[in-house]
Amino acid sequence: MTEKANESRRNFLYLAAGGLGGVAAAATIVPFIGSMLPAADTLAASKTEYDVTTVAAGQLVVILWQGKPVFITNRTPELLKEVDGHDDMLKDKDSKAIPEVSQPWMNDPDRVKYRSIKPEYLVVSAICTHLGCIPGYKPTAGRKDWGDSVPADWPGGWHCPCHGSKYDISGRVINGSPAPFNLHALPYKYTSDTTVLIG
Amino acid sequence: MLNSMMKTKIFAWVDRRTDAGAIIKSQLTEYPAPKNLNYMWNFGSLALLVLVLQILTGVFLAMYYKPSAAVSYGQYTVAFDSVERIMRDVNFGWLIRYMHAVGASAFFVVVYMHIGRGLYYGSYKEPRELLWIIGVVILLIMQGAAFFGYLLPWGQMSFWGATVITNLFGALPVIGEYLQQLLRGGFAVGDPTLNRFFSLHYLFPLLLAAIVGGHIHALHVVHSNNPEGIDLTKEEEKIMFHPYYTVKDAFGVGVFLLFYCYFVFFNPHAWGYFIEVDNYVPANALSTPPHIAPVWYLTPWYTILRSFPDKLVGVLAMGGSLAILFALPFLDRSKVRSARYRPVFKQMVILFFIDVIVLGYCGHEPPTPVLKLVGQVATAYYFAFFFLLLIVPKFEKTKPEPEGI
Repeated sequence: MTEKANESRRNFLYLAAGGLGGVAAAATIVPFIGSMLPAADTLAASKTEYDVTTVAAGQLVVILWQGKPVFITNRTPELLKEVDGHDDMLKDKDSKAIPEVSQPWMNDPDRVKYRSIKPEYLVVSAICTHLGCIPGYKPTAGRKDWGDSVPADWPGGWHCPCHGSKYDISGRVINGSPAPFNLHALPYKYTSDTTVLIG
Repeated sequence: MLNSMMKTKIFAWVDRRTDAGAIIKSQLTEYPAPKNLNYMWNFGSLALLVLVLQILTGVFLAMYYKPSAAVSYGQYTVAFDSVERIMRDVNFGWLIRYMHAVGASAFFVVVYMHIGRGLYYGSYKEPRELLWIIGVVILLIMQGAAFFGYLLPWGQMSFWGATVITNLFGALPVIGEYLQQLLRGGFAVGDPTLNRFFSLHYLFPLLLAAIVGGHIHALHVVHSNNPEGIDLTKEEEKIMFHPYYTVKDAFGVGVFLLFYCYFVFFNPHAWGYFIEVDNYVPANALSTPPHIAPVWYLTPWYTILRSFPDKLVGVLAMGGSLAILFALPFLDRSKVRSARYRPVFKQMVILFFIDVIVLGYCGHEPPTPVLKLVGQVATAYYFAFFFLLLIVPKFEKTKPEPEGI
């Protein structure tokens, strides 16, 4: 030991050793946090096939796609008429607010309005864009079937039980709802006349 | 860094309420340690590091591991599949599992070195008897945790290892069968066994963490032994733990990690010593693998077990070989601690280290008549070592110990 330590050399060594140790510790955190993210098999794009003719006229079916609920409805001509006549009540009638509410297949005005490839079969995310509940199905217009749980000018659609968000029969969010966006549109196509493939 | 942290207002607030500053000073930064500790004294801090690594990796593995022997899609089992999923699908799952599996072996390497150090330098003697006894408790809990953990992948070695070990308890008279069913939760190793072993595998490290705290506390009361094995009375024979031994321990950690990372990244199976190949075959209750042996760190005791032709005697001998460690401080009455000044003990203890390695080798290999005999001789010396310690001090001419260091 010398009488007087070389302070600047010692400080440099402290910083260098401590700094590299810190880098190593930070690098060690990466695999641990990484392991908590979805695993490869969870991420693997799972596709779901569904025969839409099993949905009776006027009926709603909820299925799972990648672990998330999806609405499939068979809209009767009366229900299809409910899509029109309340554009002023909608936050985003043309589904343009964010990318998730539209899909490349929405390539003509009817598909934008009905938000479906075949007008009668609506295939749409069942997750309320507010806080993720599954909205309740109240398809008929007015208060005839629903009492005063819906407003007097209810156009028919979905009504979320959690915080009262309202969507029309095309899954478009209605003014006054806490939900900010329409129900998300899904990437699907018809692989035959009656079978849709989601994903 | 610690110094500047201890000058902050927040620390002062905590300090007034917990006396944290005084504890840090007396137990860490200004804890007096002998100035002549050699590298054999690095293994205690390494053991603590590996314990932390095992708990950390274990907690993350438990996020994906499923303790169920139910049959899965591929006709394997849910538990086996979940381990394979960790290896193939979970991000960095292979790394965390290999860290855990290699860590188990590393834990025993480090702890056996630590125990060997204590034996050679007489660290178990007065006034450190209880420190040693707490250490033996830690060893037993570690062996239990390792045994419970080994069942979890639900491979062939897992299943038949657990079958053999739970059968040991069945050899005990009167309570044997009851104890066996208590452990298995059934008449054979099965789904209930897997569930309770997972629960206990999670519990034991928590016990370890608590008891390690007691081990360190006991150490800080009686203070470290040293290579000379003498009591240190003068101030100048000691140096502060920080920075001298914090830096030395950190250097030891660097060297340890070099070996640890080699095995984790390049050789996780370690030629079949850390992870046995047969354990990648799913558990099959209808077929025992042709050669079955425990992992290397349990093989010395396995050899003692099978060195006796009588089942009950073998089981008792194996239990006794571990239990006798508790009695060691009271068997060896020599006042001289370090083997450096005990010529007879030095040869005995080195032979004992070789003996345990021979026992381990015999337990790892298939039992041939020659190896069986070697195992029996090694078993005889294992016990003879402890009983000879009773009489050695009566004739051993110890060398003069130094006055100080």
